[in-house]
Order: sequence, then structure tokens, then C-alpha cells
Amino acid sequence: MASRFSGALQLTDLDDFITPSQECIKPVKIEKMKTKTGAKIKIGDDGYFDVSSGREQKLQKVEITLADCLACSGCITSAESVLVTRQSQEELLRVLSERKHTDLRGVTNDVSLVVVSMSPQPILSLAVRYKLSPEDATKKLAGYFKSIGADIVLDMTVAEDLSLLETQQEFLQRYQEQQADPNSKHLPMLSSSCPGWVCYAEKTHGNFILPYISTTKSPQQIMGTLVKRVLAQSRQLNPSTVYHVTLMPCYDKKLEASREDFYSELLNCQDVDCVITAIELEQMLESSGKSLCEVPGAELERVWGEDEEGAGEGGAVLMGHAGSGSGGYAHHVFLHAAQQLFGETDVPVVYRNLRNPDFKELVLEKDGKEVLKVAIANGFRNIQNLVQKLKRGKSPYHYVEVMACPSGCLNGGAQVRATEAGGGRELVGALERLYAQLPRAAPARRAHALYTRWLAGRHSDKANALLHTSYHALQKSDIALNIKW
Amino acid sequence: MGKLELLQTLTGHKGIAWNVSWHPQGQVFASCGEDKMIKLWSKEGQEWTVKTVLVDGHQRTIREVAWSPCGNFLASASFDATTAIWDKKSGQFECNATLEGHENEVKSVAWSPSGQLLATCGRDKSVWVWEVAGEDEYECEAVLNAHNQDVKKVAWHPSLDILASASYDNTVKMYKEDSLDSDWSCIATLQSHESTVWSLAFDKTGERLATCSDDKTVKIWKEYKPDNQEGVIVSDRESVWKCVCTLSGYHTRCVYDITWCHKTGLIATACGDDIIRIFKEADDSDSNAPTFELVCTQLNAHSQDVNCVAWNPAGNEELLSCSDDGEIKIWKFSE
Repeated sequence: MASRFSGALQLTDLDDFITPSQECIKPVKIEKMKTKTGAKIKIGDDGYFDVSSGREQKLQKVEITLADCLACSGCITSAESVLVTRQSQEELLRVLSERKHTDLRGVTNDVSLVVVSMSPQPILSLAVRYKLSPEDATKKLAGYFKSIGADIVLDMTVAEDLSLLETQQEFLQRYQEQQADPNSKHLPMLSSSCPGWVCYAEKTHGNFILPYISTTKSPQQIMGTLVKRVLAQSRQLNPSTVYHVTLMPCYDKKLEASREDFYSELLNCQDVDCVITAIELEQMLESSGKSLCEVPGAELERVWGEDEEGAGEGGAVLMGHAGSGSGGYAHHVFLHAAQQLFGETDVPVVYRNLRNPDFKELVLEKDGKEVLKVAIANGFRNIQNLVQKLKRGKSPYHYVEVMACPSGCLNGGAQVRATEAGGGRELVGALERLYAQLPRAAPARRAHALYTRWLAGRHSDKANALLHTSYHALQKSDIALNIKW
Repeated sequence: MGKLELLQTLTGHKGIAWNVSWHPQGQVFASCGEDKMIKLWSKEGQEWTVKTVLVDGHQRTIREVAWSPCGNFLASASFDATTAIWDKKSGQFECNATLEGHENEVKSVAWSPSGQLLATCGRDKSVWVWEVAGEDEYECEAVLNAHNQDVKKVAWHPSLDILASASYDNTVKMYKEDSLDSDWSCIATLQSHESTVWSLAFDKTGERLATCSDDKTVKIWKEYKPDNQEGVIVSDRESVWKCVCTLSGYHTRCVYDITWCHKTGLIATACGDDIIRIFKEADDSDSNAPTFELVCTQLNAHSQDVNCVAWNPAGNEELLSCSDDGEIKIWKFSE
């Protein structure tokens, strides 16, 4: 069985589904008993019983949750079942039918509103799978989610816009800080939207690499913030009763959604409750005996007031961003910085391929000098070379868009696989062409309304708090007993 | 029956001697071990002596050393998760590059026939391909996650850029580069061993592979190319490797290493029963079901597990071995 996690996560033992890793160091909390003799424990057919108090008391089973695994540097999960319990199609269908949801902390709430947010990559994957146009696929997916009980189906463009705008802003700030203190670790700025890359960096390179990683949240998590705070508030709903599902191109997004950083103590809820991928959606359709083609379509909701601004995209249902199928981070940072820092407006965007098609760079020259250099590094091998260059002080870049999957998010680990062996490359090529043909979103224009209406304006404390996050190095614990020759 | 004559016993490593590697010309060899040292040996008159000791390259056990085909570089794989590249551009051997990336113990390192590529593997279940990208510069070309357990050994095809790896998951995998996107992928899985595959060695043509395992057997595999005469079906225009011979009943414990001489065709094995065995292909051997005969059993070759065996590439029937007992031995085979 092949793992669907990205290559980066596989290396950090994430695909360790066969045997539990001996490095699992998550301590189990033991409730101390006030007895002198210690506990007497009886093993019954249906569990363990503490009999020291005279009567049998059933002991709780130790459960390791995904959040525990994320906090440990040993194995991450000994079974995909840990993921499956909270992040599966079965769980999604169960929550939608019962309208009750138990969160990662074991708290159960009634569900008042089910919101589904769809990112463009899995939509395109399913469009190709069912031979639909991107627009038809979007509508039919909206229709499908509604048919199984979703109340609102949204696209994620607005969150992608915000993520790009915040990234551009953060870059300018880092650039200036780096100018002020050339020994600081503000540059190169490394993108943060790929959870496989972020998890690998935290587990493997820790404090060395984390200062370089953009604090801007990924589109999925910005969407989470918008749904749980803005949307819930506007409908006067308790956010913990809003069940938020995202449709994403990779499994790693499930880990991202489960991060403690994206749990709000104030609201008592996770920003994204369930992540469903293209592969799982295909399975859901198959197990209900349906083809996406025969599902009646539905319109996407417009809940952010974006249309009031007359965004002018002609009411397109699905939009893409220029630059790359992963959201165009390098492209947007490059153009914005060229304009803001060097006053260049009509910069030609010509990528230069480096060692392989998954490592390319964009350079701005002024007076024969390279003044701005950004790159796209996709796939684990290029992540390696980038990290090693950084470690040796030989990275020439100001910004790098880093994605763990070769070819980036359009080739995400949970996109529908090619049916023929060796057809993978053609499939990615087809997805790239489709993505490039999508109407282009113009981040600044669309997001304006959101900033002013809900986030107290750009650069406000509120916007900073809601649209940025932080990372945590994990200490490695290597237990000598585990050595195998 | 053949005979192994002990030419010399070399002591010098403290603790386990893990691996020995002949320089391509066969007049120098390197050894490494638990003591984190690499020793370079050559002959002075009739005696092999230590000429150079390389220290401070690694913080933990050095598991394997490998000379580049040109003989100018030595790579060392260590449990400290790094692979060091040594050369003597400055006149004496120095570590001028370190390959970092493996999560933990690196178990094996091998240079491709052109010397432009290196492969490493280890406990993190991955196989890495590195490219020489300039002076003291090495770039990661691929990280291959085909195995689902510890990877014990990597070895290159003798003339093509085809890589083979042996694992604790009982399989051997082969890889090659796809020129379209310069990415590497697994092109074959060799499944037949019933326990850990510890080592592997190609014959001189690269069309046969010998593997040795914890299941106490040695297996010989043959490549069947697309449109082969035998009519063996291949898929995706990639060769199929079939196990054409299993040598069982000879080894009484785990077989840790195997070496296939490209000059004489002799196979030698290193075994946990402290014995070195030598096999020779029969004259009337059928290529689709070859016969190998045990021609030499060197009892008590070492006082503990034999970890490594290596034929001198010069083809003079000199064999190196090293062991948990810390000793390195040089043998001469004669029929």
C-alpha cells in the first residue's frame, strides 16, 4: 500500500502504518491513586479493571489522537486509523446525518451549520476524472455536498487572495528588516502553505529553518478563520456548532487542520473540522453508486460581500492565481516586491529552470545586477537541496515557494490518480493547463471588502492575529535501544 | 575443492570492523568500524600496513566506505546520519563535503560507474541519489521511498545508471532515472527472500544479481529484457528480474554480505556462523536455471560474525573480510 502523504512526511515516519514506531514518546498521563500498596489491576475480557478500592472500576483505554502525534517527534501515527477517526468520509457522513460533532478534545456539539470550502486543485482533479468542465465540476460538487447535508458550499478563492496579500506584505517587511540587520534570519522567506513542508521543517530542522518560514496562514486555515469567526458571527451562530469541511488536494492538510495552533480556546473549536480529499470524494461517489456527472448542480454561495465591490470577474465560479498551480506565491511576491521595492511595474515573468523542472527561479535585474531573486522548489529532493544550501549560507534567494509534492499542489498526494501506469505526468500536465485557463483572481480587489468589513482594515492587529500563525521546533529524542544494525 | 589461504590478519579497529572497500586498482583498501575511524591500508613489501587514519569525520559508528571509480574520492556512511566525502586534493585526505538529509543512521553508500552519482540508504527507509554538482558540491537528485523498512544496502549496476537496494522488508528494489523530468523511480521489485536482504552484488554484465539474506539463502536473479528470447513477459517495457537459483542448506545463520568477482566470476559470502564460503558456477550451468557449487568453506574465518567480504577488483583472487571481532583478514583463493 502506498502512502498518500507527501514525500516529506513519509520520511518523517508518517507512513509508519505497519508497526508502531518505538520512538513514540508521548507520555501517558496516569492518575495517581492514594493507596499505599499500589493498584491491583484485573484483566477482563472487555478491558482492564482497577480492583484496589474493593470494587471493580474499569480503566480508560489510552487513546493517542492525531494532536498527540503532532506534538511528538517519534513516529507520527502508528496507524492511519488515528487520522481516520476524525478526518474521514465516514466521519463526515456521520456528522452530516446526525448533525452532531465530537471535536479533537472529545467535546460533542450539535451542528447548526455545515460549511464546505473547496479549493481549486481537487475540483480540477475531479473535473478531469469525470470529464467535466471546471465550472460544471464546481457546481456539481456544490450540488453533491448539499445533497449529503451541507448548508453552504464556498470556494476558497477569497482565502487564497488573503494568503497572497499577507504574504506579499510580510515579504516587504522581512526585506526591510533584513536590510536593517543583515545578520538576521528574515530572508529568504519560505512559503508556509504546504503542511507537509512545514511539518518536515518542524520535525527535522527545527529552529534553524523555522524563522525563515512565512507566518502567513495557508488558504485552508484562513478559510477556517473566516468561517468560524466572520461567517459564524454574521449569522449569530456559536462557532463551535459550525462544522467546517474543506476539500483539499492532499492528506497532509488533515494534519494541518488538527494542529493545536488552529484550535481556539476562546471559541472552543478547531478552525477546520474535517478535511476531505479528491480521492476520498471519488470514493464517496463510488460507494453511493453515483457519477459526479449525474449529480444536479448548485451555485456556490457568496457570503463575504465580495460582489458588492463589483469584482468584475464576470461571476466566474472557479478562479485561479497566476504563477503556479500551488497558488502562485512566488509569482505574486516577485511582482509586488518588484513594484514596491524597485519601482518596476512591467517586469517580464520568465522562469529559468534549474536542475530539474521542479526547481525554477525568477530574477529581477537592475543596472546589470540581480536585485530580487525568487524560486519555486517542489518535491522533497529540491527541499533538501534548498535546506542544505541555506545551511551552508549559499542560498541566493529572497523568497522561495516550497511545496512537498513534485509539480506542487495540482499533483497533491490525494488527487485522483492516473488510471494508466505512467499516465501521471500527462495527468499533471492536463491539470496544469486547466488551471492556467481558469479566470484569474485579482487578490487586492476582491479581498478589500473583507479587510474593511471584517478584519478592521489591512495591517490591523486583528488582521495580523487572525491571518498569521507560528511554528514549533520538535526536539528529537533518539532512544539508543532502538538501534538496528 | 578450492582453498582459502590466510595471507594476513590486520588488527587496528577497536570494536566491530564493519566494512572494507578496495581501491579500484586493488593496491589500497579502506576499512571502517565502530571506533568512528577510517583506515587506509597498503602493502609495504609483503606486509599490509595502515598508511592513513581518518578521524573526526563522524560522530558515530562508520558503517560503510566506498571508493569512487576514479579512485580519488572515498565516501563514508555513518550512523550519525551523514555521509562524508574525502579526497586528497590538498595532498592529504580530508573531508571536503558532507551529505546531510537522512533522518538517522546511514547504512550504505555506493558510487555509480561514471562516478557522477552516489546512492545512500538507511534506517529511515529511504534511498537517496546524489549528483556531483561541482567541486565539493553534491545535490540531491532523488529521495526514493519504495521500501517500507530499513534499507541495508545500495549497489549500482556495473555499467549503467541503474541502482539496486536491499531491505529489511525482504525485498530488493531497482531504480532508474526518467529522462523526461529527471526524476527517479522504482522499476523493479525482487521478491523471494523470506527475511531481511542484507546485501547484493551484480555480476560483471549487470544482467545478473546475487543477494544474501537473513533467511540463510543466497539467490541469483536474472534480468529478462523486453522481447527476451525466453518469452518472459515484461510490463511497461521495463526488464523483469526473476530468481533463477536459490542456494540454501549451505549457510547456518544470517548471510551478511556477498561479493561477485567481475574477473573470475567467483561468489564469496560472509555469514553469521563465522564462515566464509565460496561458490563457483558450474561449467554446464544453464543461464535460466544456473548451478553454483560450493568450492570452499573456511570454518572459523573469524571468531565472530563475518560482516563483509570483498574480492580484489584486480582479479588476483585476493579476498578481504572483516568481522565483529574487530579483525580484518586478507585471503588468497586457489582452486
